[in-house]
Amino acid sequence: MAVNPHSEPAKMEQIITEFFAKSLHIILESRCPYVSSRNYSGEQILYSPSSSASSSSSTRPRDKWFNLALRDCPAALENIDFWRQSNLEPMVVDVVLVQRPLNWDYTSSSPNPRVAFERNSSSKDRFPFVWKSDSDEFGSDGSTEKIIERWVVQYESKKGCKEACSGSKRSSSTSSHALYKKSILLLRSLYVTVRLLPAYKIFREINSSGQIRSFNLIHRVSSSVEPLIRRDEAEMQQFMFTPVETSCDYVGSPLADPLKRLPSVPMPQYSPSSSPFGRRHSWSYDANRASPPSALPSPSPSPTYSESRTLHSKFGNHPHPHPHRPPTSSSRYPSLEIAQVHNKDMGYDEYVPSPNFSPSTSPSPPMYLQGSNMLKVLLRSDSAPVYIPTSRLGDAPLSSNKTVLPFSPPHKGTRPCLSLLERSPSALQGAKLLKEDHSKPSGVKISSNSSPHKSFSRSCSRLSFEDSYDDSEFSGPFVVDDDELIDHGIGSRPGSSDRSGNLGTPHERAVGALVQMLKKAPPLQQDLNRSHSQKQIQIQDPPPVAASNMAASSSRVSPVKTTSDALEELKVYMDMKQLLLRQSGKS
Amino acid sequence: MTGFRYLKAYSPKTEGQVHYETEQQPDPTPICYRFLIRHIMNCEVCQLKELDVEYFEIREVLQCILHTIFFHRALGLVRPKDIDLQLFEITYVQCGDAELEKKVDEKIDQFIDKVEKHPNKKNQICLSFFEVKNKQATWFTHKVEHLYWEQWYININVAQHPKPISGKSHHSKLVLDPGESASEERNARRATLESSLHEVLFQIIKFVNEKKDHIPPIPNMEGVSFPYEITISSSSDSAFGMDMFKRMLQTGHPTMLS
Repeated sequence: MAVNPHSEPAKMEQIITEFFAKSLHIILESRCPYVSSRNYSGEQILYSPSSSASSSSSTRPRDKWFNLALRDCPAALENIDFWRQSNLEPMVVDVVLVQRPLNWDYTSSSPNPRVAFERNSSSKDRFPFVWKSDSDEFGSDGSTEKIIERWVVQYESKKGCKEACSGSKRSSSTSSHALYKKSILLLRSLYVTVRLLPAYKIFREINSSGQIRSFNLIHRVSSSVEPLIRRDEAEMQQFMFTPVETSCDYVGSPLADPLKRLPSVPMPQYSPSSSPFGRRHSWSYDANRASPPSALPSPSPSPTYSESRTLHSKFGNHPHPHPHRPPTSSSRYPSLEIAQVHNKDMGYDEYVPSPNFSPSTSPSPPMYLQGSNMLKVLLRSDSAPVYIPTSRLGDAPLSSNKTVLPFSPPHKGTRPCLSLLERSPSALQGAKLLKEDHSKPSGVKISSNSSPHKSFSRSCSRLSFEDSYDDSEFSGPFVVDDDELIDHGIGSRPGSSDRSGNLGTPHERAVGALVQMLKKAPPLQQDLNRSHSQKQIQIQDPPPVAASNMAASSSRVSPVKTTSDALEELKVYMDMKQLLLRQSGKS
Repeated sequence: MTGFRYLKAYSPKTEGQVHYETEQQPDPTPICYRFLIRHIMNCEVCQLKELDVEYFEIREVLQCILHTIFFHRALGLVRPKDIDLQLFEITYVQCGDAELEKKVDEKIDQFIDKVEKHPNKKNQICLSFFEVKNKQATWFTHKVEHLYWEQWYININVAQHPKPISGKSHHSKLVLDPGESASEERNARRATLESSLHEVLFQIIKFVNEKKDHIPPIPNMEGVSFPYEITISSSSDSAFGMDMFKRMLQTGHPTMLS
């Protein structure tokens, strides 16, 4: 497994991160219709038409992860790089079937944003399918679309690990080896499953008959779960892969809501810890600690359900308080304790100064992303990124109707905001805010002026973002943090060599300066030592709980579906296929 | 096998015991038996849904099932190969290991052979995974010990007639357009089998997802499966599935006998 002999947490983190990447790769590889091979260019694009079982293709590092060598899938690469910056937010992949009117003229009808993006992507239409969605959703060209699959991959902070452990006979604590092995298994079954689902047939159909221009499959990757249209929801069924436990040494945090959970994890890092920017860092702590990240991609069906499910299980665990917590909370966040112990609802609020984070199901959060992106753009000198935001703007309208996302995680806002903080001096003004919840406050402000936005999906040029955004994140830990182990681990990660190396960029230096400033801010300094940081994380857990509540309230209960339902659904798809064939015949 | 499952739930390994103490009932199993049970217990068994297939479908169905299992058990580096079934609208995945493909085909040949010779029987293929332990020879054990940790039973019911469903009405009724109704029937049957096969594949996926703890560490090899064996039995065999169990007992760890 090509993992450096560093700390277990570091390895776990790598594994988890790579798990997301691989999952996305597996899904998109079997859902993104190939553009003709000539469109694939560049280093990573070695597309081979047949599943290259034998091909001389030397084994790339990416292939080695989870012992599964996959075909190249540019869309996956792009998206995953983007996702990496989001620091373990849930990854939601919607597979959308788009029907265009037969006379649809692809080039002329495209809105500007798309064009811009297209250019930006450098290779003509590498991802025509991907971004077409933007325009489609406007409905201006009369095309219609339907979400036919939704995948949710998320890292869950666990409930009481006791419970979790009791389920598994062997491991009292999950080693990175065990985690890796189980991840392999999960990914294998994902690989198989993806090919058994009805959408795969559509994918094949579209692929094989290139001339079917009236239908297409597109995908959207985001970190927020938008509720599905009721109709769609009703037609879907859910399959949940058994989560993989990452670790259960400690009595887990009582996180309830999977969605919120993720966000919560990062938060701890910022808040008390010495390195506000070291999300990754803190994250790894978390993993190591116990956080039971379970990666559970739930295929097709609406994520909402799965979440709610998890929710329940988690709630049960609440009762077990962490031994460590009390001290921590008292030291830094007195309110936290409360939140944790009893008040699921309030927990969130307490931490989070900004109104947006309140447990209410209010939708605003999605906006942050966009806002932050825009901001980034402004801040950045890079030309490339500029296009991206534009395309996003284009998206915004479509998502507007979906603005009300009960789940829409504040954290989303958080992230981007964070980056903002790092970057823009002005953001620093709110030092106090930062301490409590570093990123959020700023995020809120920013977001307010931006239109709601949901996903950073599609293919955004990852590179550009990467250096601006990602680097800075990393640099935080490097500059401030004393924990080197983890840093090393991260740097050495095989799959992500790209992100590891750049410590010395000007960018980072700038970040370093920022970090210094932050350090001087009174609130932050308190927590520079490690022990605190650990505790903090736990403290942070409560917010998720609150979130979970929200989730619980908002999520609907899905009826259990049976095989016969599945068959019915299959029939529907068969019909659809027939339709497709007919259409193709016409056109 | 349910009995074993039950026992399993209550006989944690030592390191796991801590967790059970608080949340589970105490292990009811006498300590002296725990060893024994653990060895048997660690062998997970999956009985796959029975499939009614026609002769000509055997190969494809078995390939599909066996390779799907192997894909989940060949945990070395693989380059997956998608295979579209000819008879059904199903795509399954092979791990791209020529050796493995060959072995699977050989076994399927054997199976088909057996079906030909002994029609009218339910047939079962058992795919077992084991760990090889080199043990010092004792009076009772072989030198090499196979510790089975998983078994998959594939239950195949081979129809003797092309149109098994209408077997009875067949004689009494004269159908006006036999050709059409027959083909309809065939299609219906095919569709049924296809969905059953689909179910079996999901059964495999679910099993793989739910049971992960019994799998031994991944051997240091590429693309190759864990050690395995494929055995064929049919309903007339005395134990029909018990033979594996017996073998397990015979080759089991010596301590289980003490």
